[in-house]
Amino acid sequence: MADSGDVDAAAVSEPLDLVRLSLDEIVFVKLRGDRELKGRLHAYDSHCNLVLGDVEETIYVVEDDDDEEETVRTLKKQSEMLFVRGDSVVLISPQAAS
Amino acid sequence: MRVNLIRPILIPFPLGIPGFFKTLVDHEVTVELKNDISIKGILKSVDQFLNIKLDDIQVVEELKYPHLSSVKNVFIRGSVVRYVHLPSAAVDTALLEDATRREAASQASKPR
Amino acid sequence: MSFFGFDSSRGHPAHGPGFGTAPDAFASISQHRGTGQVDDDEGIDFDDTYDGLGDQLEEADDDFNDDTFGGGESKNEPVGKDFDFFGSTSKVTGAINEEAVRYNRQQPPPKTTVAHSSPPKQDSKPYRTGYEAYKNPSYIPELQVDPGLWGTGPAKPANDYGFQQSQQGEYGSGPSQQRSSGAAPKIMMSLEEVEAAMRAQAKKPTPISEPQQQTQAPPQFSIPQMQQQLPAITRDTHQQVTTPYSHAMAPQNMNAQHPAAPPDFGSGQIRIQQRPSQQPSHHKHRSSQILQNEPPTRANSTPQIAPNLQATAPQQILQRGQNMPHQAPDAQESPRPRQILQNPNRHSAQFGPRTDGAPPSAQIQQRGPVAVPNGTNPTPVIYHPSQIMNLPEEERRLYLEEEAKRAKRNHKIFLLSKGNGLMTPQDKNFITRIQLQQLMTATGNVNEPDPDASLSEDFYYQVYNQIENRPRQNPQQPLSNFAQTYLFRTGGRQGGMGRRYRGGDSHMQRMEQQVQRAVEAAKAKPKNKQLVIEGSLGKISFSNAKTPKPLLNIRRHDSSDFASRSSGKKPQVALSTTDRKAILKNIEAVYSTLMKMEDHDRRQPPPPTNESDTLSIQAAAEWQQTWKDLNEKLWTDLKVNEPIMPESASLHPFIAFLSYPKGKKAIPRIFNHIDENQRLTILTLVLIHLDIIDVVRLAQPQPHGSQPSLMAREQVDLFLQTVMPSLFSYVTEAPLVVVIGMLGLATERLNMSAVARTRVGLEMLTMVLSRAAIIRAVEAPEDEIWNQWLAVYNSFFDTIEPLLGEIFPASVNAGQDQYVWQFLAATGSGANPEQQQRLVLAVKDRVMETLQQSKTLPPEMASQRRGNVNLFMQAIGLDVDLLDG
Repeated sequence: MADSGDVDAAAVSEPLDLVRLSLDEIVFVKLRGDRELKGRLHAYDSHCNLVLGDVEETIYVVEDDDDEEETVRTLKKQSEMLFVRGDSVVLISPQAAS
Repeated sequence: MRVNLIRPILIPFPLGIPGFFKTLVDHEVTVELKNDISIKGILKSVDQFLNIKLDDIQVVEELKYPHLSSVKNVFIRGSVVRYVHLPSAAVDTALLEDATRREAASQASKPR
Repeated sequence: MSFFGFDSSRGHPAHGPGFGTAPDAFASISQHRGTGQVDDDEGIDFDDTYDGLGDQLEEADDDFNDDTFGGGESKNEPVGKDFDFFGSTSKVTGAINEEAVRYNRQQPPPKTTVAHSSPPKQDSKPYRTGYEAYKNPSYIPELQVDPGLWGTGPAKPANDYGFQQSQQGEYGSGPSQQRSSGAAPKIMMSLEEVEAAMRAQAKKPTPISEPQQQTQAPPQFSIPQMQQQLPAITRDTHQQVTTPYSHAMAPQNMNAQHPAAPPDFGSGQIRIQQRPSQQPSHHKHRSSQILQNEPPTRANSTPQIAPNLQATAPQQILQRGQNMPHQAPDAQESPRPRQILQNPNRHSAQFGPRTDGAPPSAQIQQRGPVAVPNGTNPTPVIYHPSQIMNLPEEERRLYLEEEAKRAKRNHKIFLLSKGNGLMTPQDKNFITRIQLQQLMTATGNVNEPDPDASLSEDFYYQVYNQIENRPRQNPQQPLSNFAQTYLFRTGGRQGGMGRRYRGGDSHMQRMEQQVQRAVEAAKAKPKNKQLVIEGSLGKISFSNAKTPKPLLNIRRHDSSDFASRSSGKKPQVALSTTDRKAILKNIEAVYSTLMKMEDHDRRQPPPPTNESDTLSIQAAAEWQQTWKDLNEKLWTDLKVNEPIMPESASLHPFIAFLSYPKGKKAIPRIFNHIDENQRLTILTLVLIHLDIIDVVRLAQPQPHGSQPSLMAREQVDLFLQTVMPSLFSYVTEAPLVVVIGMLGLATERLNMSAVARTRVGLEMLTMVLSRAAIIRAVEAPEDEIWNQWLAVYNSFFDTIEPLLGEIFPASVNAGQDQYVWQFLAATGSGANPEQQQRLVLAVKDRVMETLQQSKTLPPEMASQRRGNVNLFMQAIGLDVDLLDG
């Protein structure tokens, strides 16, 4: 398989082929549990397992105030290299480099 | 219903990902579980289902999650993992991207 | 007789084997116990007459049943001939008779001797115990049972064996029925019980046996043979009867099979001993003997039966009737399914020698007769339906065997069919698939012990480990050819391969070396005497009042001017989403092709060593053709040949390609798979777009000294690590003409102001300038060409001179200006004295600042800074040491 010369051209016929275009590009990933990631896509597979570099994770935390008002707090975390298990992934979007 | 049963319940991950983790064995990683617990430890092994074995573990927010304070090593079922934080120095990203391209190509070339 | 439970009125018992029905091999299983009385068509039930000792032996002796009786499917054939005794033996009947008589006479003496030793063992005879009826001389039933056993044919072996042995001893002697009768025990006895029984038996040994034998023998013989009418059964008749049979049997046994056997078996002792130890051999004997015995008996009996009785059943009844009176007490025991009886017979036969209380001689005599009846009686008399009787012997035998087999099969099917219909075929299919799936999963797990097996093909794992020089986990596996070539092909992998810190340095070193060489070349030139250090540098360096800042400001104005100009003239660099996607597609297509080419490289056949080796030549040609195709595809994917439209609003596809990190990273690998012309094309393309390429455009110094964006800096670094070395490697080999053309293009078409203020721009220029200096020094180009160069150079110098003040990055302190000094050195090395003067004037402030600042630094850093400056100074024939003085 390492031998497979069958690395076919970038025929974009499958949804994941779109993801392939974003290899080594910044992508935006929405996850379950009100989490978002932004980072450079280094790897993915058919399960949407991802490896992202220089990731910024944004977590949206809904908090109830005393007034029973819901306020959304955002939590940001950085990670230099992150493996994301595919079953958490909701969507992957190419993100124009900022 | 029968059809559901027949479908493989456990599908091994494509070769690429376990192989990728295999190169990270003996590196320190932080596994973040879906219940928000983060466990830092030395990666000892990863199988095809991404079950993970960690040595010398330490729960990142020990005070908040004291459950594992006395545990030295853990086996983590792959399905409960949300993230694995990796040391970027141990990852050859260009190579990884190539591997991903190859994997994608081989997947695409498979008859569906 | 109702006594036997045999109701003549209902014909054949339903549960018993009927004449019209095939023998049921399994009938006995269900019948023999509870229905014992009903079964007594067989005569006397051995269960009752025998204490069951024989059952214990049954297991051991079963082993050869199949061999003996052809129970196995395949045994049909071999059995056939063996049973044909009559054919052969009848021919020698006379001799046999003679032999038998003689043998009988001889026998007595040895047996008596045996008798002395045997008594203790005779005690062991278990089946006797508790059945006093056996003592009755008229006790016959056992004999009847035996025939029943033989009905199934195969079951006999043990009996035959035992009997034959006895026959060998004495043919004529009659009644050993005890053994045969005892053969039928159903009840299993423990060893203790057996022993107890034997002991009990020992007390009443001798008297019993003889009378019994006499009485019993007649029925046995009479039944099977049928020649003699049952009523006629007496000792006399018995003798008569026996002889014919014994003739048939005995001679064969003795002569053919067991010539040596008689002496051994003659003594009861020996037999007893033999039983435990020699059983195996006995089995063999038995089997063969049995095979022989059976057929003849049938042959004899059947014809006789037919005339006498249309149906055998009546005969049986009659026999029983006759027997019954004698056996009355025992009769109850008689009912036994024949199959079971068969086995018991065997046991009884074995026990025979032991158990007989009778004197040895008597035993032997008895056995002879008994054996014969056993062999002869069974099948025909009791069981065979009349039709079968009429069949030829061979067919009948086959038929019986078939029936037995079928019965077994049916039984098996019955057992197996209990769950029939529980599952539909779909259900089964479903289960099968689940099982297969589990098997797959399990197989997957099997890989666990050897995880490397699955990893052996893992691209990342293999290549990574080799790049990192990790010990390979399975050294026996040859180094992956792929990984090797991958490593080789990507060469330094500096740059592209992610590690920012690795590749850039080697590039810097190479650049430095080249500049150094250029400087050396320049130093070789005659010194510029006009350069007076004190004068040219001194007056500026100490005029602190004149800061260069105003000048810089002015130039900043210029740069903004450029910006405005470029906005009008240069294409917009912002890419639409569709452009972006298209470009990314291009890039991925390039990668696909690249990987194909890298794979293809690995498959390069060795060059044909022999010209006649057409195969390898062809292979090489094919490989070359494929390479060309791939190269063409790569070139197309790169979009290098797209028309260059300076006024176009959109970026050239290839420049757009280079604006993506992975586009940059692809360049080193692309350069491995393109030829020189293609490299030059790419170099040219980059050069003429140098002022709008992202690493220049985005890296312009920001107005207030702030740095370009982080992303821009990363892009610059990446470009320097990936694209630059590839271009550089080409330029270092480029001929002067190319160098001239490049500098001309740059001067002519580029916005030098934008280019000169970026590192990428300056390094590109340095590359070209230093190459020219080296060419001049090394190759001593012709004047004409060199003059072309000088013209281009002068033009370039005039363009660049005004910009020299702003080519340095903002702060001296940062120390990030090595590339600038290299550029200055490269420029200076090609400059004429006048131009050198202008150079010095343009940068003298920076020189002095740097030297000043280096004095405040640690020695190492200081020397590095001074080294940077000195590179330039040496290029124009000076040295920083002169300044210190």
